[in-house]
Amino acid sequence: MSFTSFILNNLLRQKVRTLLTVLGISMGITTVVALGAVIGGMKQTAAQILRAYDADFLVAQRGASDLTFSTVSAEEWAAVDERPDVKRTLGALLYVSRVAGNPYFVTVGLHAEDLAAAEPDVTEGALLSPGALDEIMLGAGAAGNLGAQVGETVSIDETAFRVVGIYRTNNLWANNGAYAPLEAVQLLAGKPDVVTVVYVEAADGSDPSEVAASIEGELKGLAAVENLSDYGEVDQGIRIVDALNLAISALAVGIGAIGVMNTMVMSVFERTREIGVLRAVGWSSQRILRMIVGEALFLCLIATVTGALLGVLLSRAVLLIPLVRSLLEPQYSVDIFVRALSVAVVVALVGAIYPVIRALRLTPMEALRHE
Amino acid sequence: MSDGYAIEAVGLDKTFEGGLIPALKGADLRVARGEFVAIVGPSGCGKSTLLHLIAALDKPDAGSLRVLGRDVAALKNLSNYRARDVGIVFQLHNLIPSLSAIDNVQVPMFEAGLTARRRRERAKELLGVVGMAGKELLRPTQLSGGERQRVAIARALANEPPVLLADEPTGNLDSEAGKLVLDLLDDMRRRRGLTIVMVTHDRDVAARADRIIRMLDGRVLPDPDERAATIARSAPPAD
Repeated sequence: MSFTSFILNNLLRQKVRTLLTVLGISMGITTVVALGAVIGGMKQTAAQILRAYDADFLVAQRGASDLTFSTVSAEEWAAVDERPDVKRTLGALLYVSRVAGNPYFVTVGLHAEDLAAAEPDVTEGALLSPGALDEIMLGAGAAGNLGAQVGETVSIDETAFRVVGIYRTNNLWANNGAYAPLEAVQLLAGKPDVVTVVYVEAADGSDPSEVAASIEGELKGLAAVENLSDYGEVDQGIRIVDALNLAISALAVGIGAIGVMNTMVMSVFERTREIGVLRAVGWSSQRILRMIVGEALFLCLIATVTGALLGVLLSRAVLLIPLVRSLLEPQYSVDIFVRALSVAVVVALVGAIYPVIRALRLTPMEALRHE
Repeated sequence: MSDGYAIEAVGLDKTFEGGLIPALKGADLRVARGEFVAIVGPSGCGKSTLLHLIAALDKPDAGSLRVLGRDVAALKNLSNYRARDVGIVFQLHNLIPSLSAIDNVQVPMFEAGLTARRRRERAKELLGVVGMAGKELLRPTQLSGGERQRVAIARALANEPPVLLADEPTGNLDSEAGKLVLDLLDDMRRRRGLTIVMVTHDRDVAARADRIIRMLDGRVLPDPDERAATIARSAPPAD
């Protein structure tokens, strides 16, 4: 018999209690994994928006609750575009509406010339024609969902657009959305002369970070976003879900630790006399400590495995919701599982503290006298 | 004090409940190496308390206790002492119910630094010695009272301690099973040179020992038999 099998044997003495404790901790781990995967997907979507059109950074309204609510005026766009340290800019208006079964269909309004410069991967048809207001290019996903072909007409908010081309991209929201002329989308959105974001490419020889900082200093209402860590400046939602994730993880630790503590306290209490016998036959305090912490760790490690599996299943189930499916693809990074494991280890250690103290506080004789 | 004694206690005091309940009042005890002694006395006379102090399960309030020539109070690692120097058998076997007989015997061996294979081999060998061959995989609930006590004796001998302490080892057994356990203790003493201290309230059981030590009101009564001293003087020096 190994020490590990001794620990497992102790856990199996109260199978139902062990199972219920594992299930309880698993719920917390499930939440951490599922939420982590969904938030990872959201961040990937944000990263795709950030890195679109090969820009160095994007500029949007500072403090916008959601990037799609950002407004950058024509004057602000012009002020950025005319800077000597800026090589080129691309203004895009993101318009979100329900199209067919997709409640989060993103139509990106931008100048035909800018779209051409961005060189999208056109699989069928052609790019938007300069000056035309009734043309639209569909992402391959959107074309499939709508069953639309080049030459056919699709309606967005009762405005008819002629499909001139279909493009393919790894960018999920763009693949499930469309490109249309900026002026047409401004009309659709009722936002004349504004764009949502301005993508900026710094001039040759200019440091993009310095250019971004300079724009922020000059145009106080705007924020320049170079990487994901800055993304919260223009999308409070990312910050909120990050905070939510942290809070839920902390809650999972708290609830899990109480569950483990409860189980371990009961287990140690029931085995007080037995612990006295172990001390009497020569077990050191360290070995008693290792036994209790080992039991708590085993509980939590089993819960990590089951919780992680349930978390993956849950995050896949979330994709059954069309809104979610059109916006993000859950990301299962190693980081999420490391976080889940860390939560489990913290839960085990915190949950074992009191039972260990209780077990070691008693002298062998006090433990042996326990009825 | 002489190192010829396996156990030498002088003036041991022990009280409980903050001094309200005196258990030992200056108890003296000398047990020679290889001797089998029985401590007898009425309930509450302190005989179990004395045994527990020797097992280092509790600490005396006053007095000195030397076991195998070492001052127990000065030992830095009591766990090591309990694991290697003294084995203890309780009135209730105190086996772990979810473990088989062979696994129960292995429990003290975790502290001995043996491999899992060696632990298993030694446990099997010990169970054979106590007459439990073929019942290694049975759990305590599948064993009779006498068999459980024999497993408990095997567990007490797991790390081959030179001193075996037995607290009413036959107290819960019928006379036949009790006799088998006593035969086993006697056999262990003769074959392994064990020093055995057995607490009992049964005079017939005590009669199996080399010497009977009587206790009353927390004290060891004067021993008219000086054999212990004689044995101590003639015993070989400690290893």
